[in-house]
Amino acid sequence: MDSVLNRTVARIRSLPGFPDFQAGVKHVLCSTVLSVLGPAFEVVGRHVPEFRKEIESWEEGRRFSLGVLPKGPAITLEKRGNTIHYLGKGLRSPHITMSFKNYDSALLVLMSVMGSHQAFAENRILVEGDLAKTMEINRVVNIVNANLLPGMVVKKVLKGPPKMTLKNYVNKGKVYAGLVPAVVRHLI
Amino acid sequence: MIPHYYQHFCPVKILSGHNAVSNIPYEMDILGCRRAMVVTDKGVVDAGLINLVREAFADSDKEIACVFDEAPPDSSNRLVNKLAKLFEKEKCDCFLAVGGGSALDTAKGANIVISEGTDDILSLQGNEIIKKALLPMIAVPTTSGTGSEVTKVAVIYNEEKNVKMAFVSDRLYPRVAVLDSRMTMTVPPKLTAATGMDALTHAMEAYTCLQKNPIDDVFARAAIELIRKYLVRAVENGRDEEARLGMANASLLAGIAFSNSMVGMIHALAHACGGVCHVPHGMANAILLPHGLEYNISGIPRYIAELSGMLGGSIEYMEEKEQAMVTVSLVKNLLGRVSRISGLPVRLRDAGVTEDKLPAIASAAINDGAMAFNPVEVSYDEALEVLKKAY
Repeated sequence: MDSVLNRTVARIRSLPGFPDFQAGVKHVLCSTVLSVLGPAFEVVGRHVPEFRKEIESWEEGRRFSLGVLPKGPAITLEKRGNTIHYLGKGLRSPHITMSFKNYDSALLVLMSVMGSHQAFAENRILVEGDLAKTMEINRVVNIVNANLLPGMVVKKVLKGPPKMTLKNYVNKGKVYAGLVPAVVRHLI
Repeated sequence: MIPHYYQHFCPVKILSGHNAVSNIPYEMDILGCRRAMVVTDKGVVDAGLINLVREAFADSDKEIACVFDEAPPDSSNRLVNKLAKLFEKEKCDCFLAVGGGSALDTAKGANIVISEGTDDILSLQGNEIIKKALLPMIAVPTTSGTGSEVTKVAVIYNEEKNVKMAFVSDRLYPRVAVLDSRMTMTVPPKLTAATGMDALTHAMEAYTCLQKNPIDDVFARAAIELIRKYLVRAVENGRDEEARLGMANASLLAGIAFSNSMVGMIHALAHACGGVCHVPHGMANAILLPHGLEYNISGIPRYIAELSGMLGGSIEYMEEKEQAMVTVSLVKNLLGRVSRISGLPVRLRDAGVTEDKLPAIASAAINDGAMAFNPVEVSYDEALEVLKKAY
């Protein structure tokens, strides 16, 4: 059975144009997840006090982007007041740029196979800008992940998954409820 | 356990021996260089170490074009710009950095400015941002601890913004590292102890952090075994050539390991102790090492347990956590022993840290880049707890 499957996969891979098709699929996947992740920062910021506490000390107007090299999708976010705003797709004059080296590395993190700390450790992410501020951003990314992903996945991708209290479950519910409208609002 | 992905890179040619400095002109020839800019500090000049380097050039067609001896403890953007201008004025074609981490960082910083053709080094901070090939650099360490001669990092202080900027790039590796026992002979016992414990921290964190991999494990193991054999000897008798060369090699091996595997919470806390209370880096690492290892036992007991064998402990019949505590105890014993000989403090309170500064240190530590590579998550409260234990 395995050999049949392997042969089929090998045949598909040898089809003309397959590498381009595969790259296109990876692009769409990365782009889609980033389109959800951007608004997720706003929603988590609205409902999770730890998030707001974490960005309290950030300077106003700090802009950072997450993207894929060399010319893959990217999103830019900005700290305004006590939350983070999603500025939309593309690089919009960020102070700090965090870029995955390629689609494969990006997908490992964006599809929650691997945590961002592990991706940093494996040299999958390049950082342009202040490394100390990148650490602060990474902690916020972890808070977003903790409130966005199912518990089992959170345990896998975070080094220190938060202890879930009733209040945390309620906040997570609010995040889920607010996410779809936020994504739609940014799409239209 | 084999990691599912890792990278290892070290393009540095290594010369090690009791008169290794003599080979520098020949290495310059191989690199196609003729005029070296020596970057060092006043302490190194006063100790007569630059004379040893000058002697090496006496019968050579290569020359020392200029000696820049103003490398401060924290290299700054103003200074690297000044050095870059001097380098161009003197028509030098390579850097010869002689000193501790700051002299090497100063040379690396000036090298970035010259090669990238900019006077705004701030725009290049981050990892792998430097795109242009740097000029050749030969590194001669005069302490055995930082491992800067084989690392891809430079830390430069930004005077205008009052922050330390970190530059990480494969292009920052020196081309040649020269380990000469004579260059570390004059280091006093306390500094020998602190830098030796710094090297031990590099090796132990490289062996236990997230980027741990089979190649760097080999370097880390070799470093720990050399430190076990030579650190006490070097602290007891600074003129012991074999011990000095052994420690220089240990520092280099640990440097290769941590430049690839990176370091974790102990370094993050030590950097913060330096930033907030000006505790020397090696001293802070020495004090925090056993406490950091103890904290990480909850996540990686096996790796910490394995370290005990390298430090000379028994590795039989114990549970992992129990064996890991043996490692912590062996590190404490080593620290205690070098402390008794040299006067190196073993508590933060004896190193100039006051209790009211601990929250500020914890706060700075959790934003340190090294914290990302620690195998166990460290929150502000947990960092503060570790600092209180070390206090």
